[in-house]
Amino acid sequence: MLFPSESALRVDPQAVAGSRDYDIVIVGSGISGAIIAKQAAEAGKRVLVLEAGTGANRSLVGYDDLLTTFYSAAAKDNQSPFPVNANAAMPRSPQLRKLQAGETDSSTYIVQSGPYVSDTTYTRIFGGTTMHWEAKTPRMLRSDFKSRTNYGQGLDWPLSFEEVEEDYRLAEQEIGVSANVEDQSYLGQTFPDGYVFPMRGLPLSYLDQQVNNGIDGTSVDLYGRIYPLKVRPYPQGRNGIPNPAYDGGRGYRPVGAVNTHQVEEGGRCQGNTNCVPLCPVQARYHSGKTLAKAFRMNGKSGQPLVELLPQAVASKVVIDPDSGKVSALEVKVYEDPRSPVYETITVRGKVFVLAAGAIETARLMLSSGLRSTSGLVGRNLMDHAYLLNWALMPQICGTMRGTSSTGGIVDLRDGPFREKQAAFAIDIHNDGWGWATGAPTSDLLELVDDRNLHGRELRQGLIDRVSRQLLLAVMLEVMPVESNRITLDPQFTDALGNMRPILSFTVPEYTMRGAAYARQFSRTVFARLGAQDHTSYDRSDFGYVAYEGQGYAIRGGNHLAGTHIMGTTKTNSVVNKNQRSWDHENLYLVGGGSMPTIGTANVTLTLAAMCFRSGRDILNYLH
Amino acid sequence: MHTHSSIRTLDELKEFLHGAMQLEHATIPPYLTALYSIMPNVNQDAAQILRVIVVEEMLHLTIAANVLNAIGGTPDLTRPDFVASYPAYLPDGETDFEVGIQAFGREALATFLKIERPAARSEHLKAQSPLIHRKSSQHKTVLGSHPRNKDLHFYSIGEFYAAIVEGIKELEEKAKREGQTIFTGDRSRQITSEYYYSGGGELFPVFDLKSALDALELIIEQGEGDGGGIYDDDEHELAHYYRFEELVKGRYYLKGDKPGHPTGPPLQIDWDGAYPIKPNLKVAEISDGSELREATVAFNHRYGEFLALLTRAYNGQPNLLLEAVPVMFEFRNMMLELIRNPLPGHPGLNGSPTYEIGKNTADPYAAHRAEAAA
Repeated sequence: MLFPSESALRVDPQAVAGSRDYDIVIVGSGISGAIIAKQAAEAGKRVLVLEAGTGANRSLVGYDDLLTTFYSAAAKDNQSPFPVNANAAMPRSPQLRKLQAGETDSSTYIVQSGPYVSDTTYTRIFGGTTMHWEAKTPRMLRSDFKSRTNYGQGLDWPLSFEEVEEDYRLAEQEIGVSANVEDQSYLGQTFPDGYVFPMRGLPLSYLDQQVNNGIDGTSVDLYGRIYPLKVRPYPQGRNGIPNPAYDGGRGYRPVGAVNTHQVEEGGRCQGNTNCVPLCPVQARYHSGKTLAKAFRMNGKSGQPLVELLPQAVASKVVIDPDSGKVSALEVKVYEDPRSPVYETITVRGKVFVLAAGAIETARLMLSSGLRSTSGLVGRNLMDHAYLLNWALMPQICGTMRGTSSTGGIVDLRDGPFREKQAAFAIDIHNDGWGWATGAPTSDLLELVDDRNLHGRELRQGLIDRVSRQLLLAVMLEVMPVESNRITLDPQFTDALGNMRPILSFTVPEYTMRGAAYARQFSRTVFARLGAQDHTSYDRSDFGYVAYEGQGYAIRGGNHLAGTHIMGTTKTNSVVNKNQRSWDHENLYLVGGGSMPTIGTANVTLTLAAMCFRSGRDILNYLH
Repeated sequence: MHTHSSIRTLDELKEFLHGAMQLEHATIPPYLTALYSIMPNVNQDAAQILRVIVVEEMLHLTIAANVLNAIGGTPDLTRPDFVASYPAYLPDGETDFEVGIQAFGREALATFLKIERPAARSEHLKAQSPLIHRKSSQHKTVLGSHPRNKDLHFYSIGEFYAAIVEGIKELEEKAKREGQTIFTGDRSRQITSEYYYSGGGELFPVFDLKSALDALELIIEQGEGDGGGIYDDDEHELAHYYRFEELVKGRYYLKGDKPGHPTGPPLQIDWDGAYPIKPNLKVAEISDGSELREATVAFNHRYGEFLALLTRAYNGQPNLLLEAVPVMFEFRNMMLELIRNPLPGHPGLNGSPTYEIGKNTADPYAAHRAEAAA
């Protein structure tokens, strides 16, 4: 059924404003907010979730509408399924341009402060960025939690891997991760005896296997240490084969989708290759699945415990000057995404959770005048830096089959070299050169317009070209730097009059040294594969960075972190290890923003794990 | 020939379960064709409802195979008569009604409503034999007929399944008295939720009386409903009949609504939003030598191969169901090709899959494929 009967119960903004019985008010319906909402509902708490987007994709028809928008979009970028909504605007990478040092571009939602322009994105829609994520779910390595101690770089976490491990398992359960323990036990990663992932590992693509054939058994030498190479499968948040051995033999049941009818729950991955931006069969996890479960939980009176107020943009955190606690949130509720008309309501609760993503949470804090005792709100902005390398394989490799990415070269995620340069993990992209060149559309245009091919020659030309494409996307570690930050300026506001984020970011030298090595490394891999390197970085690229006489186009990774880092004291951090604000005892800032470092793990699994921890802390606080 | 409605031997039970598989499969071609006849970007609600129901029919087919495997049977979807000849007939009490291959539209929907609404006997008819003499022509497939006498069909699909349930209970009781069991099947032949999920119900292994009865109950409840409220027991799933009725009424049901009176938001149906396929088309009606005819035969061939693949999956190789997924994509594309192209010599009508499996078996595309692979 396209229409879930639950959504007939529309939440009235006035009723929300008049309500005095919310235990928890959560800003954002991404994975962080969803996990905390579900956990709270399981404990019988009343929860209000505020979502800036329209919430239309909470129903299957809304989800399908996003797919239709994606299919008909000319440019298939990360945000292409998500209609423009000026009231909850989001960064869109195709709109960017090169900037000079000191130049500011305010033509896009994120105001870019040159010279480096980041094409990083996040999604302001029901489900947050899990609506477009790729769903790779590696854990951070043990050493990633102690990079200051181990390598003299970045910061140590106030938590050890051991303290997070159990929550990693909860996050893997919630997301329904497909992976095999034996594939993930590299670089010292360990799992409890008998642990299996909820679902069996997804197979490597044919392209992965072809790459592995060329490099397996070879190695590289870095600062006198040998690193063996092979292609390893990534753990993934998408439905594979449930492992009957999961949970002590009870097995795992893949459940959940934006709708509640079983057939409409997430299907099995079919290899549609458009995981990013949107899986057509909801095989890929998104937080709407977690919320669907939360919305079904009723309190003693039979009323739903979790309410969603869409079209509600939190605009101010109101602090009680006596207690220092948050007394309320001011929320702008707009009537229609096509009109800037809104009313401001005040929402009250016992605990407030800002789960709007690293940039929006920092923006909300800063626009409320809350820089924190440490002054670190908005600072230490991190995002993985991506360096793309592309080549043509000598043989047909079936590129464009499989999910976006199934395997990669990950053995340089750790090593003593991290004292000098950034670690990295390499994704092999099953969708060819798309990210780097706009393939396969760019190939089609070239073959038709420049080479006048048609008919059989055109078909053969496309096969020769596209199915041999290999893209190695190098994901480089970026350490926290206080000057990499989000700031606000009253001259830059959005349709609702909220201040927009200004992004100032310089790719740290530590990362660039890693990038320069990764470029060499990729050339070595291409040489071993007999692949023809087609990589070139254009000086006019908005992400062009010169380093030691060479230029590189650095891409954002959409793994935003660090704007409200966790630490051991109120002077070295914004939140404690439970993601609770040091300054305001009933305020939690959750998500990637709390991470002091990000290592070489895509951030979602780790931030999801931390939210289980915060959820427990919130329940303790309420008792 | 005298025919009992009750099942007396294990072999007879196996035949009944084959009949159940045939019946569960028989609704798939009409639903699937209607689904794929819908034009792009219209009738989203109808497409979703059809998809949900067709997926559940696939689940029922697999459950029936599990029950058959549990009693030591060998499911065979490649039997010459396994795929119904359309139009086929379904029992509707004293009479039967036609189930054909046609485009989505009012007529198709009327048929689907009939499929999903079980005929219920009035009290005074309950004592009578469940078997009814067929009214339709001898040459047509009547689903839910008696395996040993195709002239007799059950009063309803519900009574057909009731006979199976009774048969299983009685045969197992008899076997138990002799210190045996009818559940002698190899458990590794069961299809479990590892291979099939998100399919409208739990797929669990069948290995004893209780699991067999649970399995059959799932088919009966989803397929037939209990004729009572609009929602099933757990108040969560709208029964098939009422899902289709939402389309007729143009309005969604809400919880607490009375049957026939949905009060939810309206939904849009574009009655012209389907390709005008020729109902119950046969290969013989398509001009010899036309591309459409070639494509139609190729589809039938591929569909036959798919049923052979399922047969192997149901006979000890459940992992082959993973291979079945890309095949389903493939024949969906083949069906779309047939449905979206004009039928030569029939202005205003389009082609259609004919589901004549095992007939015209020469695969005209085999040569093309060999060339492409070379």
